[in-house]
Parts: sequence; C-alpha cells; structure tokens
Amino acid sequence: MNPQDEVTTLLAAWSKGDQSALNKVMPLVYAELHRIAHRAWSQHQPSQTLQPTALINEAYLKLANAENASFQDRCHFFAVASTAMRQVLVNHAKSRLTGKRGGGQVEVSIDDVQPAVHQEAEEIVALHEALDALQAVDERKSRVVEMRYFGGLSIEETAEALGVSIPTVNRDWRLARSWLIREMKRTSS
Amino acid sequence: MNAEWEEIERLYHEALELPGSERTNLLAQASPAVRQEVESLLEADSSAGLLAEPPTHIAADLLDGQPSGLAAGQRVADYEVESLVSIGGMGEVYLARDTAGRPVALKILRRHLILNAQAVDRFETEARAASALRHPNIVTVYESGKSAAGLFIAMEWVAGSTFRAVLDGGAVEIAQMMDWGGQAARALSAAHAAGILHRDMKPENIMLRKDGMVKILDFGLARHGGPVWPEPSSMGASGTISGTLSGTLLYMSPEILRGEAATSASDVFSLGAFLYELAAGQHPFAGDTPLDVFEAIESRALAGVGSVRAGIPPEVDRLILRMLDRDPGGRPSAREACEVLEGVKKMGPASLQAGRPL
Repeated sequence: MNPQDEVTTLLAAWSKGDQSALNKVMPLVYAELHRIAHRAWSQHQPSQTLQPTALINEAYLKLANAENASFQDRCHFFAVASTAMRQVLVNHAKSRLTGKRGGGQVEVSIDDVQPAVHQEAEEIVALHEALDALQAVDERKSRVVEMRYFGGLSIEETAEALGVSIPTVNRDWRLARSWLIREMKRTSS
Repeated sequence: MNAEWEEIERLYHEALELPGSERTNLLAQASPAVRQEVESLLEADSSAGLLAEPPTHIAADLLDGQPSGLAAGQRVADYEVESLVSIGGMGEVYLARDTAGRPVALKILRRHLILNAQAVDRFETEARAASALRHPNIVTVYESGKSAAGLFIAMEWVAGSTFRAVLDGGAVEIAQMMDWGGQAARALSAAHAAGILHRDMKPENIMLRKDGMVKILDFGLARHGGPVWPEPSSMGASGTISGTLSGTLLYMSPEILRGEAATSASDVFSLGAFLYELAAGQHPFAGDTPLDVFEAIESRALAGVGSVRAGIPPEVDRLILRMLDRDPGGRPSAREACEVLEGVKKMGPASLQAGRPL
C-alpha cells in the first residue's frame, strides 16, 4: 500500500471509531510535517507569511488522496495533523527554552536573539500544559483548541471533525479560551 | 465530565449574554463554588488575547534550523564573510570584505523573519532610507539586495562599539557627553532636513568609533506612514510586549507609546533620553517592568541631570529636559540641540567643571 492510501485507510478506520488507527497514522503525519517544514524554508518566497496551517495543508495534499477525499476526510486528516503539529511545535518550543541551538560560535542569550520566539515558546509550553489539564476536565474542549490553534482549522472544519454542531464549537472555543487563560495565569503566578 | 462542570458551562454561556447586574442575579442562584468558578472564567474572558493568532514565530523558527548560518569564507553577493559580529532581533551582522579587500558590515535579515512581511518591509525600507543619507555621523550604506543567504545590506564597517557598551561603564565626563551628543544631534538634524526619521534612536543603534566619531545606525523606517513599533519581531503572538522589549521602550516618546505617528520631535525625545543617561549615569525613565517604564515616560516627574550629577552647564541641563518635554511641540529641533551642545562646548573647559556623580 502506498503511503497515501495507507493514510486514507487509517483515517477512515479512525473515523469509524478505531482509536489504534490514529496511533498508526500519527508518525506518518509527524514525519511528513517535519519534512515539509525543512523543505519549505529553501523554497519559500519572501514577503509571504507562512503559518503552521500551511504546513498542514501541504502535508494533507501529500499524504491523503486529496482529490478524491470528502470534506469529512479532510477534516479528519486536519484533526490528526493538528495533534501532530502540537507535538512538533511544543517539542521545538521546549528545545528553544532549554537553549539547545546550533552553531555556537558566538555566545548569545536567547532573549537577545529573538524575544518574540522566546516569548511564544513560553506561551506554547504553558498552553500545552494547560491543555492537558483541560483535557482531564473536558476532553472535547481541549481538542477544539488543539484543532483551532495548532491545526488552524476553521469552526466549520472543527465541527465536522468532532461530529458536533457549529454553535457547540463556538461555545467550546470561547469557554476553553477563558479556562486556559485562567489556568495559565494561575500556574504562572 | 460531571454535573457541576455542566452547570458551570451553562451559567457561563448564559451570563455572557447578560449585562453585569443581571449576571449577579443569575449567579446568585448557584452554589458558592460554582459561582466563583463561573466568575473567574468570565473575568478571564475579557482578557482573551491568547490564542488570537497562530504560533507563527515558533513555526517559522522551526523552519529556520540554523540560526547563525554563514561561515567564514562564504560569499554573499560580492562580499566574502569573515566572522559573525552580532545577532539582533532583526538580523545577523557579519564582518565581510568587498572585492578590494576593504571591510564592510554585512547585515543579513534573519531567515525566519523573511516569513514576516512587516519585517521584510522594514529591512528594505531601512536600506532605502539609509542609502539616501550621506553624513559623516551616519553609517553609510553601500548596497542592498538579495542573495542565496537572504536579504542583505552592505554598509560601512565601524571599528568600535555601540553606546550600550559605553553606558555599561557608567556616566561619562560632561564634556564628552556634549561632544558625542552634538555629533548625534548633527546626524539627526541632517536626516530630518532630508525628511527622514530614525524612529528607533537608542544606544544600541549609535556607535562610537575608536577615534571618537559617533555613527548612527539603522535608519529603519520610512518617512511616511502610520505609527510603527520599532521591532515588529518583539511583539509576542498575543500582542503583548515581552519583558525584553523594555530596553527599547525606554527610548520611546510618549506619543509613540500612545500609538501616534512619529515626527522628528519623537527622535529628539529618544536622543534626549540617551543624553540624560550618558550624563547622569542612570536612565530618566528606568523601571522594573515595561509597565513601570510606560508610566514613567507618560507621567513621572523628571528632575534635571543637575540633581544627580554636578558640573553640567545649566543650559545643557535645560536643553535635555526640553528634549524630554512630553509635548512634542515643546521640544527643540535636532538642529537646535546640536547648536546648544556645540555652542557650550566652544565656550571651553572653563564653563565645564569636571562633573562627578553627587
């Protein structure tokens, strides 16, 4: 089976309730995201803002049999990819904060280099932990945030992936944000 | 999920639809624990800047695998890289040689910022603005362009250090401050006459060459356009200002902090803050947090340099305070500042007692 069919099949299995399918598809998505991320740099056109969502989109075109895929398949793929994206970005943020950097010919503190990257790294790690806490209270809401924030899914796509209504996603999204903000403030103080 | 959580959720959404007074009535029915939970969530709701934007910086940084990209001997356009000099928020600066073997400073836009349209715009504008300026106290830009290594600006190599390093050594002699201040004011005056604002005057952007010549770097931003934050890359994903930005904040004029458009008077304010710091050995708006700095710039009463440092000529002390006038209209022009600093200097050392911190 070629990787595209494999992913499509696994996604289909997952959407029918086979949780182990998700575990099988994740490494494929994860590897693809990394590959795309590294290649994207060399081909990237200046003056164009590249967002995590763009990576996921590209991974989707690559991995899933995009032309024949239904809206539902697409949404499921994005749902999986957003989990992978969360892992990729959180891992990178953590390595940033512990100061693992290439080169090393000049001593520079991370703050001097990129305050915005450093700050965002802190936010992402804090968010990641708060999301784990939210998952324990209300798993669906943590998934909504994962898909919306890390995966860049729209409200409609999130609703489709989770099999709930659009108003429900809107409400989940709003409450989850308040909850996470409160949680992050609580743990940082 | 339990019943209490469901009740919290229901009350939260109901309360969001209600004005404040009715919220209180609604929540009065709930148990104290539930009420407190809902109230704290509602409170967090109003500060919802978080998650408003995707984590672009980390994603871009992930793509930018190797932060210090260029090795000695590598070519960028017609220049050969010798060594990495510094890494800043916007770019990396290398010492390089042109084809004739002369040293040049090569500034390369950090690769991850190529993903940020605003940063690219600023970089290109900097190259344009600075190449329009020819002044002995302004770093000369030779060339800018694109290369395999990214966007670059080739400029005059200044053998010396930035004034950040000078300030780390504490206050300087008053006569010295006036000489350097006069040179910086003269450069600003020339730029303003050409219709170009600096917009990010701070010690990190002013260099002292080993022979005592002051050179201003990074004429970063265009003369037209709305308010611009000096370092777009310093704004966090949630739009908040990171603690590390407080260094830059220190030199921002009140009108810039309010988000108004910069004028030449804004540059004069920043220069005034720098001169005050040079003379007094302490920053006029020092604060522990960005918020403290904000408040100091907006409203803290400021005593003259003379209150902390003896030996400053009264007209120079008055000049610096006028440069720091909260009303842009009350500030002198860069040209006037230059004339005062140089005028007093010409009167000779007699008017300048050796200044010592009080």
